[in-house]
Amino acid sequence: MIPLRLSAFAEADRPFVVRLGSPSGQRCGDAVLVEAEGNSATYASKAGLFTIDGVAASGLAGDVLLIQPREQRAERLIRATSPHNTLLVTERCDQLCVMCSQPPKKTHVDRFALFEEACMLAPENMLIGITGGEPTLYRHQLFDLIERIYRTRPDLSFHVLTNAQHFENDDIDRMLGPAYARVSWGIPLYASQSALHDEIVGKRGAFSQLLENFAILMRAGARIELRTVLLRGNYPALPELAHFVASRLRCIEAWSIMQLEHSGFARRRWASLAVNPRLDFAPLREAMDWSFLHQMPVQLFNIPRCALPEDYRRFAVASISDWKQKFLSACDGCRERDLCCGFFEWHPDQDECAKVTPL
Amino acid sequence: MSLYPLRLRALPNGEALAVNDSGSFFTLSPAALERFERDTLNPQDEGYLTQHGHSLDENSSFDRMSHAYCVAERLDQVGTLDYLILVPTLRCNLRCSYCQVSRADIDQHKYDWSPDTLAAVLDCIDAIQGDHIKIEFQGGEPSLRPDLIQAVIERCERFAHRQFVVCTNLQCIDDGILTLFDRPDCFISTSLDGDTTRHAIHRTQSEGKTRQFFDNLRYVVERYGPGKVSALPTIDASDPPPPESLIDAYREFGLDSIFLRPINYQGFARKRHKHSREQSHAWRRYYRRFVETLIERNWSDRDQVLEESYLSICLRRIFWPGNERHVDLRNPNPMGMDYIVVDHDGTVYPTDEARMLARSGIIDLAIGDIVSGWDSERRETLNRHATNQFDPTCQHCAYQPFCGRDLIDDLARYGRIDVPRTETEFCRRHLHLFDFIFELIYSDDPAVRYSLTRWLRLPETPVSFGTMLE
Repeated sequence: MIPLRLSAFAEADRPFVVRLGSPSGQRCGDAVLVEAEGNSATYASKAGLFTIDGVAASGLAGDVLLIQPREQRAERLIRATSPHNTLLVTERCDQLCVMCSQPPKKTHVDRFALFEEACMLAPENMLIGITGGEPTLYRHQLFDLIERIYRTRPDLSFHVLTNAQHFENDDIDRMLGPAYARVSWGIPLYASQSALHDEIVGKRGAFSQLLENFAILMRAGARIELRTVLLRGNYPALPELAHFVASRLRCIEAWSIMQLEHSGFARRRWASLAVNPRLDFAPLREAMDWSFLHQMPVQLFNIPRCALPEDYRRFAVASISDWKQKFLSACDGCRERDLCCGFFEWHPDQDECAKVTPL
Repeated sequence: MSLYPLRLRALPNGEALAVNDSGSFFTLSPAALERFERDTLNPQDEGYLTQHGHSLDENSSFDRMSHAYCVAERLDQVGTLDYLILVPTLRCNLRCSYCQVSRADIDQHKYDWSPDTLAAVLDCIDAIQGDHIKIEFQGGEPSLRPDLIQAVIERCERFAHRQFVVCTNLQCIDDGILTLFDRPDCFISTSLDGDTTRHAIHRTQSEGKTRQFFDNLRYVVERYGPGKVSALPTIDASDPPPPESLIDAYREFGLDSIFLRPINYQGFARKRHKHSREQSHAWRRYYRRFVETLIERNWSDRDQVLEESYLSICLRRIFWPGNERHVDLRNPNPMGMDYIVVDHDGTVYPTDEARMLARSGIIDLAIGDIVSGWDSERRETLNRHATNQFDPTCQHCAYQPFCGRDLIDDLARYGRIDVPRTETEFCRRHLHLFDFIFELIYSDDPAVRYSLTRWLRLPETPVSFGTMLE
């Protein structure tokens, strides 16, 4: 696992964002490496001296860090060499999904200004993830962030994970602007039956609100990635959802169907929530076949390739971010390992889903 | 419950096919049909119709937007010019009885591009925006002028995506044309009427020329593999070859796509093959038998998937709205926009058939010329009618979303475009074809389902290709 939080000691007394320079890559405004010893490095910056512990300086070159002196902590907001960088804008959420991997909290710390600084320092053409909680609870700040960054850094693009409960008709004009061509919205839809979807997300009326907000997003020409987590509750209804998507949500750019993540609420509810496509592929197959028949762009996340029949493997994406990805010892000889998502670092090795058969 | 309009087509067994404006379809059992007629839909019906986007709640923007999106997706998007059909020469070294373009003799003069015409074609290529180009070389026999083909191809190096198709009778392949064929972006399209006897009847007409052709076809297939070469037969509908022997002739060369075309009522064929103006029931029976034979072959021998090209095009149009770019079947079908035909004398026509009509002296449908342009009033006049959306007959037809509009075909056969749709060959042909395809879509026969799977390029055969309201 790649650590995203490091311990840090800084002269400054307020949080600041800084990009770490290196002997081979130093840009104007970067912190300058003063001293490096093993997994500890000291830098000089406009905010004064600071020391980072836990990772060798060479592994941090070009990273954008948020240094929090009081907490003696540094967050690696943007890792220069990784395609998987995500900014968590809030931990609040108005839904309470039964399997939430990052259960919401009541408190909110506004870090939009710091995130804006970080994005401005990101490597060229990077795709940056924005997640929560529910980011659109603060959608005006989010829109401001997206638009301001676009003005200075039109090369960057964003992927925002949102439950899409909070868009309004007034947003359409704004979202028709050029900045939003660089934004795709990852939106969960768990079933085409309102009661079932509402039950899964723990919010009455969520489904019908979602459909109306899809209409807003369609009018705004928004780029939509639909997301469906496989659960015991919605798995048998997945073929029906495929019919719904192929008939009514043809505007989407992608439909990501994903295996449950063993964390958050799902950890203790695993036995009652998880499905294993390795043992029961039929509903997924039927949904995929219908989608392909109608040219809907299905991709599979978090499902190891060996769990799928051969003809369907090419739709499985190496979806698990580098910093939380692992492979099992049995995966060693597998010839499709490089194409495979592997497992979440915290996935229990004894679990049924982890019974791999190397290809 | 309010519904978006559904167009029905009766099926032989008392069932009906229902299709909405976006091409979303399902069948109705006789019982379901009765519930529709009496307006006594049950909750299952309503659930089905809502899930599949047929219902309309006035208060739901989602109902309106998702439906509007699907209808828009169904309409073909015609972009800017990126496809040229070029006729560098009208001369030909064969004298096929059904020649649609009324070709000129090989030793005649003034049937090749002039230097000015070539220069204007190259200028036209330079003016094309974007990074995509497709060029088809037609004739006459274009390989008689490899120098012109080469000049055009060399001018296209700047395009990231380029494809050249040389439509040739393969009677003569010399080093000049071979150098062009060697390019990975160059493809060969030829005619193959069947076995050697069949091929000789209307095309080569002599043993020597027949042998020459078959030797050359074998040569290019062996040199480049069958992926480089496509071929189509021209069938004399009054005497079609047995499907098996035609299929064998194609299989022998590894060719898996057969565009089963009856003689086109154009050019010399208008006089020598008068019956080709309308196709009879016998032709349609033959067509059907041919496709059924392909399906049996595909099922019994899984090594190769054979298809009838036009059936596949129509089938994909049903399931892949907006993704099939076949200019002979699309809607709307504006002309002189994304593709043009440049004739041997530099005249610009909207389609290859329009060129044939002008050559036959039936009607001059030229929309301009390559030097002075083709943004003409004629083009505008044609394009006022280039859609099937508002045709009073098409409006009631279940197949309208999948079908197209071909003004030139109507003009070729009837000299006018206002013949009631159902009385046109275009309509009869497509009604028959779509009836047949929907029969296949709802077939339980595993052989049929297997072929559909392969024609639609699916990983596995789905549980069903279409739903039914019981």
